[in-house]
Amino acid sequence: MSPDLSDLHGEFRAVARDLLGGAGPDRAPGWKAITGSGWPGLEVPEALGGSGATFAEVAVVLEEMGRAAASTPYVGAAVLGVGALNLLEPGPDRDGLLRAIASGAARPAVALAGDTGDPGTAVAAEPPFRLERSPRGLVLRGDAAFVPDAAGADRLLLPALAPGGEPVMVDAGPDLAGIRVTAQPLLDDTRAFGRVTAEGAVVAEGSLRRFTGDPAAAFRHLGDRAAMAVACDGLGLSEAMLDATVAYAGVREQFGRPIGSFQAVKHACADMLVRVTVARRLVEAAVRALAAGDPDCWVAVSMAKSYACEAAVDVAGKAMQLHGGMGYTWESGVHVHLKRAMLDRSLFGSPADHRRRVAHRYR
Amino acid sequence: MTGVRGTAHDLAEFRAEVRGWCREHIPADWRRAQTGVPEEEFVAFQKEWFQELRRAGFAVPHWPREWGGGMPVAEQIILYQELAAHDAPRLVLAFVAIHHAAATLLAAGTDEQRRRHLPAILDGEIWAQGFSEPGAGSDLAALSTTARRQDDGYVVNGQKVWASGAAHADWCLLLARTDPGAPKRRGISYFLLDMSTPGIDVRPIRQATGESHFCEIFLDDVVIPRTCLVGRENDGWRVAQETLGAERGMTMLELAERLGNAGFRWLLETCARPGPGGARPVDDALVADRLAGFETELTALRALCRDLVERHDAGTPGPADASVVKLFYSELLQRMTGFGAEIAGPAAHAELRKPLSSGWESGAWALDFIGSWEWTIPGGTSEIQRTIIGERGLGLPREPRGGR
Repeated sequence: MSPDLSDLHGEFRAVARDLLGGAGPDRAPGWKAITGSGWPGLEVPEALGGSGATFAEVAVVLEEMGRAAASTPYVGAAVLGVGALNLLEPGPDRDGLLRAIASGAARPAVALAGDTGDPGTAVAAEPPFRLERSPRGLVLRGDAAFVPDAAGADRLLLPALAPGGEPVMVDAGPDLAGIRVTAQPLLDDTRAFGRVTAEGAVVAEGSLRRFTGDPAAAFRHLGDRAAMAVACDGLGLSEAMLDATVAYAGVREQFGRPIGSFQAVKHACADMLVRVTVARRLVEAAVRALAAGDPDCWVAVSMAKSYACEAAVDVAGKAMQLHGGMGYTWESGVHVHLKRAMLDRSLFGSPADHRRRVAHRYR
Repeated sequence: MTGVRGTAHDLAEFRAEVRGWCREHIPADWRRAQTGVPEEEFVAFQKEWFQELRRAGFAVPHWPREWGGGMPVAEQIILYQELAAHDAPRLVLAFVAIHHAAATLLAAGTDEQRRRHLPAILDGEIWAQGFSEPGAGSDLAALSTTARRQDDGYVVNGQKVWASGAAHADWCLLLARTDPGAPKRRGISYFLLDMSTPGIDVRPIRQATGESHFCEIFLDDVVIPRTCLVGRENDGWRVAQETLGAERGMTMLELAERLGNAGFRWLLETCARPGPGGARPVDDALVADRLAGFETELTALRALCRDLVERHDAGTPGPADASVVKLFYSELLQRMTGFGAEIAGPAAHAELRKPLSSGWESGAWALDFIGSWEWTIPGGTSEIQRTIIGERGLGLPREPRGGR
């Protein structure tokens, strides 16, 4: 990253932290404030009312949202919504939706399963839905669980395998007959997930959107974006937990001295810093590769996702431990980050799944 | 090498140049040839390799131009990447001379000291470091070797330990107490010690690996002329603090590149070797998982080392950056070599010697694993690094200490 860009990101990060920072999980800024800040339109082309920025800027927002454990539908609408639309062939419908996301008029979700299915699947190779020809026209069937921000979305994009075998995107409203969205309450209540089920929904030809380029590669790329979004979230919340723990260890006294002066505590904090430093370096490299459109970025993505999300659970867990009895209370809020870190670790491919993808290159 | 370099094109050209040089000049089969050779052959090989690098301008790229270096940092990074990728022998014997001794002379030495030693180092002068003592390891400032003023110099008495390569050293960087009454960090001076001075007895220590690179140095009424004092009298602790970490960036980068290149390659090869029944470890899901974890950490390590070098060059290093890298490298090396030994099985224990001049990842995994404690203990143990990271990096309160 050039120094100019990192300066720019520094300012952008400060603004993001300011907006999200003091909010906490219960007082996250509303979607209006988020859209007002221009974040959903970051990757929307300028001609369509967006900023024409890249995933590198989106990553800054994601990290800060993880740090604040913010409750926003940003992943569904922007990371996956805008990300998916940018992979589709341009047209009035696609362009209109991009414009609507940038302006805050639309808040879609993409029915990509956060649960990638069988063990060993880091990024799903095939869409969770299928289109079949029937006398009634094209019929959609399938099921995706742990879909980010599905419940409150005003429009659904469903990745599906077309009758010809290639992935396409079905653009449907949430009230299309035969499509059901069920909210999935989770231990991490800072985020909203839902199950999307299609049981023979009839889909008009006009609502099919085709990927530009290789559709299978485009669909996998969407999975990489989702994994990367989660890795950024995990990095941000690890940093928050490290900061909180260092601050606490500096003021909490036992045996007549700050607990941070004890080696057992100090060394644990040092280990947290090493893990966060390593995670940040891997996330930066993967974000850069993904933003640059590097076709081999998946290796860096899998490294970042597996390491950062595993580290986040360790760091948040150590934070709870070092906060002592206070850390175990509901009031302290450490549990909020720990649960979010645990969910991040499981979403869009577990660490083992992603390492397995990396290891395929050794055969 | 003239003109302004630094564009991507120039750097690509430089990389090609270094690659060509590596293919032509790295002795084929040096690993096998250097396994189990007597000490003299190791020394001769090291000296020859140093001169080979010197002829190419690769021996002291990090020195200032007027002393024979002046390679831009971006090129040094490429140089070490390529030397590692081509599995070049490591500069073991010249290490202290070209890094610690040079850094000390350049930062705190007199013109005369520089003129006397920097060209000599290029000609093959070997240096050792006489810092640690039996009673002063992690607590280095507790050292008790004394240097008493006498006539126009000092008389030194005491014992140094863990002096790597001292058996072959011409000179030694020496810390000794010049004011026993002062607080312990304020009574130490920094000297250049000629190892041919009467009264010096060097005894190699046999290490856990069976090798004897480290030495004890006994000093019995050894006379050091005043011209060999570095910096002011009683200011040696500060000089040592300033120069110790000076070269950590580039040396760590070289080691990280070695571990990430040849080291990981050999680990993959070890894991791809079929067992007696034909099964390959790499086909086992648990083994593949561990390998991917190592590759991930190596990728981060190499990037962190590049950051460290670039920040050092820009004059903006974080207070604990070097400690983070040293700690992470040391423990990653230990876990990786330990895993190699686990996978290689009993066969790893039948490799009784590893090639001299190799790095800490020679592929003789059982010995490499034992040798990895050479990283978690010296140069500030992992425990000391964690304390530095906690206090300087995170600003945590210091531990109450006795006897300053």
